[in-house]
Amino acid sequence: MAKKQTRRSFLKTALAGGVAAGTANLTLMRDLYAQASGPIVIGHHCDLTGVISSWGYWHDKAAKAAVEIINQGGGIAGRRVELATEDTESNPASGARKLRNLIERSNAEFVVGSVHSGVMLSAIPIASELKTIYFSTGEATEATGAKGTRYSFRTGTDTYSIAAASMPWCVENFGKVWSIIYADYAWGQSTNQESKHFIEKAGGKTLASIPVPLDTKDFVPYLAQIPPETEVLLPAFIGSLSVAFYTQAKTMGLDKKMKMFSSSASIESIAPDDIQGAAEGVYFFENFPRMLKAKDDEYHREFIKRVGIDDVHAREVGSQRVMDKSHGWQAWEDIFAIKQAIEASGYKTRKDVEGVIKALEGMEMKNSIGHPQGDKLIRKEDHCGIIDCYISRVEGGKLEVKKRIPKEELAKNMPLRHNLSQLPV
Amino acid sequence: MIRTFVERFLLVAFAAFLVSVPWVVPVIANKFWVSVIAEILIWSIFAASVNLLFGYVGLLSFGQALFFGFGMYGVGIGIDQLHLSFWSAFAFGVSAAMAMALITGIFAVRLTWHYFAIITIVFSLIFYFLAVRLKPLTGGDDGINFSLPPVFSFGATRYSLTDQTFQYFFILAIFAICFYLMYLVTRSPLGRAFLAIRENDLRASLIGLNVYVLRLIAFVMAGFLAGVSGALFAFFGRYASATYMFYHVSGDGVVWAIVGGAGTLFGPVVGTTLFIFIRELVSTHWEHHSLIVGVMAILVVMLAPKGLVGLWREGLSRIGEQKTSSELNAKARLRSQP
Repeated sequence: MAKKQTRRSFLKTALAGGVAAGTANLTLMRDLYAQASGPIVIGHHCDLTGVISSWGYWHDKAAKAAVEIINQGGGIAGRRVELATEDTESNPASGARKLRNLIERSNAEFVVGSVHSGVMLSAIPIASELKTIYFSTGEATEATGAKGTRYSFRTGTDTYSIAAASMPWCVENFGKVWSIIYADYAWGQSTNQESKHFIEKAGGKTLASIPVPLDTKDFVPYLAQIPPETEVLLPAFIGSLSVAFYTQAKTMGLDKKMKMFSSSASIESIAPDDIQGAAEGVYFFENFPRMLKAKDDEYHREFIKRVGIDDVHAREVGSQRVMDKSHGWQAWEDIFAIKQAIEASGYKTRKDVEGVIKALEGMEMKNSIGHPQGDKLIRKEDHCGIIDCYISRVEGGKLEVKKRIPKEELAKNMPLRHNLSQLPV
Repeated sequence: MIRTFVERFLLVAFAAFLVSVPWVVPVIANKFWVSVIAEILIWSIFAASVNLLFGYVGLLSFGQALFFGFGMYGVGIGIDQLHLSFWSAFAFGVSAAMAMALITGIFAVRLTWHYFAIITIVFSLIFYFLAVRLKPLTGGDDGINFSLPPVFSFGATRYSLTDQTFQYFFILAIFAICFYLMYLVTRSPLGRAFLAIRENDLRASLIGLNVYVLRLIAFVMAGFLAGVSGALFAFFGRYASATYMFYHVSGDGVVWAIVGGAGTLFGPVVGTTLFIFIRELVSTHWEHHSLIVGVMAILVVMLAPKGLVGLWREGLSRIGEQKTSSELNAKARLRSQP
């Protein structure tokens, strides 16, 4: 007959197990720092599946191309580079798990991060605790702002820098009376908040901020809320929502009543000529011009060749895919930024990560094969990329650059909000 | 007899393994697996909350993610916005989850079966969409990340979850407490009342049990377990997000509990361990790992309705019965000899 298990016997059994293992006193620890001469593993926290996979595809391609160039040139500080890629599934929960996987299982010493805001924000505390530098490629300003750490960096722009770079020129040239219509989630809300701030700072005013739910199919009720006296409309949507917005706005003739200006995210992975002229005449912020002719140099040409895209629409050669060119370049350049910082600091093992952080803080990068987007700087205090930006207009189905905003102007318009360089390593 | 012996041996081995994880696992596998095991412990508590409702009371809830999310956001908001200490944030998260379980439970436990399942999904969806929209409070779909306050400080000495070994043992301690509480409840008169309701709620009410109140108590207790797991997961990930409030997270808990063995104490641990290991082993090579989960869930439900623990117990019982009957036969033969 089975003996009844009592509270006492349950506790006794469980504690016996605990004591047995505790007395074993296993002092077998691995030396995490024993790889000073082996390959350097760079992790790629990449959104290969899920909602933002049409961008992740390009980040993967760009990172692989960059590693290939580096290895062909002798690696980093004479060490071969290995790229370990993990799919975040465009989901913060999976992303956090996959980041641990990259750092603890694949032994990634540096990580080129996700473009998905939620994923990168969930990743930063983990990366920081595991003392691993994490480059964000998305636009959530918190990554190098309120939620930033000594380990979080970016070479590109965020909602703060996009608004700071573009609004002074846009308000002066497009008009002072604005309305904003945005996808009602974190990126759209942040774009609304930052743009509103810089519109007002430039002497303009925002008549309406209209949030649109993410599952919206019919934009008419929201488009009807746009005040008729609006001179400039700022739509902030991504992917299919963006296509739906431009198509319905065009049908309603909105493009004839007001100018439209939006962030590059709204047209990423979309070729204007694929949406039957719906975005014709709309201005977009870009930070790596889609057309080669806007920055026609050998480095840009090599980038286009290596990533395998055409020089007008950034469309993949032999397929219909269009690159998220204003974001995807970061996956390439971040690896070269890591290379430069490692070589400048004399990094050998994880113990030397502080040296790499210090090298990255305030690091200047020259227009080169490693930095085909152009000259840039990682601002010391807030770890933000200070880069040349562009405002382009869709003309004849192509994004024609109308204004180049030099990085010096961006830095001037973008006062410091946080000083991450004073945080402890 | 055999079953008791084997199960007790396994419990000792399991406890021994869990205590030795931070030292043994990095040697035989990789340090990464210590984090995976810590995660399994957290999700096992979550699956236990599903198990308490489904396995012991007969209520299939697809809304446990709501309480998980409240535990998680309680910690995230508590630390990030209210600047609470570790323990205050922990208590805040668990209390928020229990309060929400009480409020939703008042309406939900009036219903049973698919109506109950539907109302729990509806509550989960309402608060998921609210969490996504209330960006200033919840961080929207970006969520909230935060730096961990110390768990204990004695002068200059600080114990924090940033020390991975300490973090593992902290999670293990909470896991042990939760499962010990489950053990106490399921063997108490309250636990027997739960079983009576699960078997036949009409008969239970006829013998004087207040079915509504007992179901509500179970619902709040399950909310407590889900809240504890959510709060722990926030500490573990240093992050809180609305993603975890979505009902598919509840669905994971249901699958883990059912496949492991609903109505058994350690069934949820078995189910959670199995699926998280599959996920970790397969997801690096194949993105459609959830297909395996689906196939396994279907197979277990069809071939072993009592889950893997039920299957195991049946096997042991059969061995025990065979042994007993062969002993009886031997005795009978001896008696029949002249």
